[in-house]
Parts: sequence; structure tokens; C-alpha cells
Amino acid sequence: MELADAVARVAPPDGVAWLTQQLVFDRATFHAAFSAAGRRLGKAPIGEVDAQRLAARGLPWSPAAGADECGRAALLLAAVGSLDPADHVPLVSDLLRRGEVRERQAVLRVLAALPQPERFVELAIDAFRSNVTTVFEAIACDNAFPARHFPDPAFNQLVLKALFVGAPVARIVDLDRRTTPELVRMVDGYASELIAAGRPVPADASLIRRAR
Amino acid sequence: MKLFDPHIHMTSRTTDDYEAMAAAGIAAVVEPAFWVGQPRTHVGTFEDYFLGLVGWERFRASQFGIRHYCTIALNPREANDAALVSGVLALMPRYLEKDGVVAVGEIGYDDMTAAEDNAFAAQLELARVHQLPALIHLPHRDKKRGCERTLALVRDVGFPPERTIVDHNTEETLPMTLDSGCWAGHSIYPRTKMDEPRMVALVQHYGADRILVNSAADWGVSDPLKVPKTRDAMRAAGISDVTLARIFWRNPIEFFAQSGRLDPVELEQPLAIDQRQLHEGNSVLRGQTPQVS
Repeated sequence: MELADAVARVAPPDGVAWLTQQLVFDRATFHAAFSAAGRRLGKAPIGEVDAQRLAARGLPWSPAAGADECGRAALLLAAVGSLDPADHVPLVSDLLRRGEVRERQAVLRVLAALPQPERFVELAIDAFRSNVTTVFEAIACDNAFPARHFPDPAFNQLVLKALFVGAPVARIVDLDRRTTPELVRMVDGYASELIAAGRPVPADASLIRRAR
Repeated sequence: MKLFDPHIHMTSRTTDDYEAMAAAGIAAVVEPAFWVGQPRTHVGTFEDYFLGLVGWERFRASQFGIRHYCTIALNPREANDAALVSGVLALMPRYLEKDGVVAVGEIGYDDMTAAEDNAFAAQLELARVHQLPALIHLPHRDKKRGCERTLALVRDVGFPPERTIVDHNTEETLPMTLDSGCWAGHSIYPRTKMDEPRMVALVQHYGADRILVNSAADWGVSDPLKVPKTRDAMRAAGISDVTLARIFWRNPIEFFAQSGRLDPVELEQPLAIDQRQLHEGNSVLRGQTPQVS
């Protein structure tokens, strides 16, 4: 599994051995393991090479994602592989609702790789309402989920929020494909509001405006 | 000199406080779960509070370069609400496993009731099971007797004293606390609990071993800069910088590192501040120029 391989390259060896054991899903220990991944695996970012390796397998991934987040994503994939499909949405919902910051980031990064990912659209839309910038970027940037599954209004809001909070718009996956006249109009409106206020327009706005 | 406030309720404080704390050298805080000023009436309110401690508040602190850790507990006062106790205790195991949770606390006594005895002992057991230290609050009323009863309970259940902070000590309780082998916290308050000159005298008498100083700042009249102010008072009284670094930095790190959730090496590195992303409506920075360091 590519995620576990990425972890193995940056996490301490005893942590990697621990993760290998935990990837055999056990309902009784899953939640404790999911939280403990931070202490076991550390937070070292996996880096560009492994991020590109994951993207080549159809899972765009942030190079800033830590070993802990990759390990948690692998744990979630193992869990859904063992659980009845009817249990998938409640599990993901619970992990997002009861997660600390990096736990939520891990779940958001791996949503696109879960079976029948369209089932998680509402959870993903709710997640990008977070004002914790790293949580927002976990769903908005280097993540295939919004472009693949968000309806236009939600995708447009996500792009606009990325501009607001200064998240790297260029890292929104498939932005060009999802840019519509309505999104361009919204970004123009935001630029106009900033110009009227005498404030600089973020450089990233040009990524959408030039698409017209 | 970097400073650590090992007991402060940042959820009740403003961004001005965070800014002033960072400017005064505070690089890390522990925020214990506690009473929010009026009784909670739903278990769900506790859960959202716990989530705030491991989520939004940690993020807010990070925007000012301050590392934020927390402790999770049912506080002594609300341990008397029978409708809440079992529900909150049942929530705790999930949250005690989270990263950045460095102890079970604040637990202990308020009125010293039988219900408080039960919640106190049950939570020391949770601390043992989750391999966490315990942060114990001494009652404000009948404090000396409360301290005796606290230390007796810790001893009776066999909880290791070296993994225990007894907090809000005074001249009358400190000798007992130190004799028990527990760590001794002191909350420096504008009007109650402990003040700077008295704290100077205690350190001159008892030394720095297992001594902690905090602001315990919350939603009441309190001062989030009491840690740097007490450090200054000690320095003015001729206490050496080596001793001060021990009390205000190394002691809290040594204690909370016992949780395995606080990395002393990581704490020595400054936390990079990046407020660029924070000019949106509900976030901490509203239309101001972001700081990036």
C-alpha cells in the first residue's frame, strides 16, 4: 500500500512496525490506534517525491502531509476494507466530528480513495467551513475530492474561501476543468470589492480570472 | 528566557492576551479542562468543550507562536451533578488518547462530597489506564483539610506522586504537598490564591524542586502575565537565572513530558507563526496586517 510505504520512509522503525500490526482492523482498538498514530509515527512531512508517487496512483496528496496523517489515512482505508459498507459513513462522520486537528486532516485527505466516495460529499462540504487553515487546506488543496464530487456551488465557495484565507489556489486539483463563468463572476466580484476598499487583490485570483 | 504557563484557561482569553503573553516570552501553555463559570446541563456541551481544547484553541495559540497542550477531565464542582457524571466519564477515554492531551485534570475536591470522592478516584484510574499524569485542583474553601484529604486519596488508590501535580498551594499546604512526593503548583492571582512576593518567599524557603508557577487565568479577575511577573519578582529578589529557568521552563516540561505527548526537543524549537491565512470573518485576525516569521 502506497500510504504505508510513504510512512515507512519518514517514520521511526518501531512506529512503522506498530502501524503494520494496526493495519489488521480491530474494532476494539481502532480509535485508540487512530489517535496514537501521532505519537507512534511522528509528524515528518512525506515530501514531494512520495506525494507525486501517490498522485500517479490516482490519489493526489499534499507533500506537507505528515507520517501521522498518512498512517491514519491507511488505518481508515483498512477499516473500511473490513467493515460493512453501511458502517462507512457513520465511521467517517465520527472521525471528523470527534477528531483533533491532524486527525481530521488525515480523514479529509483520503476521502477520494474511499469506496463510493460520493457518499461523503456532505461531510466534505461541512469540513471546508473550518477556519483552522490546515484543516481547510486538507480538503481544498492537493485533494481530488472537491473537483470530482462537489456540486458547482460548493466548489465555487471552496475556491473563493481559498482566496480569502490565502490558501494556495494553484494546488486546487482540476481547477481549470471546474472553472465556470459563474466562478469567474464570483472571483471578479471579490476582486472588485477589494479594489473598492483599496486593498490588494491576491495574485492567485488571476488563476481563475484568466480562464474566462 | 522562555516561559511555560502550566495552567491557564485560554478559551476565556482574548487575542490581545495571546499577543502580550508571546511578547513576554511565554512559549507554551497547558490549558486544563475546568468549570466554565456556570453549570453545564448536557454531556454534549462537555464534548464540544473538549473538542475546542484539542482543536480551535490549539490553532488559535499557534497563530501567536505559542504551543498549546491541554488536560481533559470532569471538574470537581460538576462531579456533583449525578446526571452528568457517568456520561462525561464515558466520553473521556476517547479524548484522553488524543495528541496534545498531557494529563487528566483538573480533578480533585470542591465541597469534599462523596460524589467528588468517586469522580476523583475514577479519574485517577483513567489516568493510570491511559498512562497520563494527573493535575489536581485544591479546594478554595477549607483548603488545608482539602489538601490532606487529596493526598490521602492519591496515596490510598496508589497513584504515583511523581506523576501528580497538586495545584493552588499556599504556605499552609505546600509542605504537605512536597512531603507527599507530588509536584506543587501555585496560582498567582491579583487578589486571591497566591501573590508574587509570597511566591518569592516560598522559593527562597523551599527551593525549586517540583515547584510550578501558573497564572490560572480564566474568565474571572485574573492576569495571564502572572508567570513573567512572578519571574521578574524572583529575579529582583536575587534568585538566579538557573533557578528561574528551572521553575518557569524545565519543571513543567519535565512533569508533562511524562505523558509521552509533549516532546522536550520539539519545545526548544520556536513555533513558526503564519497568520497569512487569517483575515476571514470568523478567524483570529480581522483585517490586520498578518505576521509571518
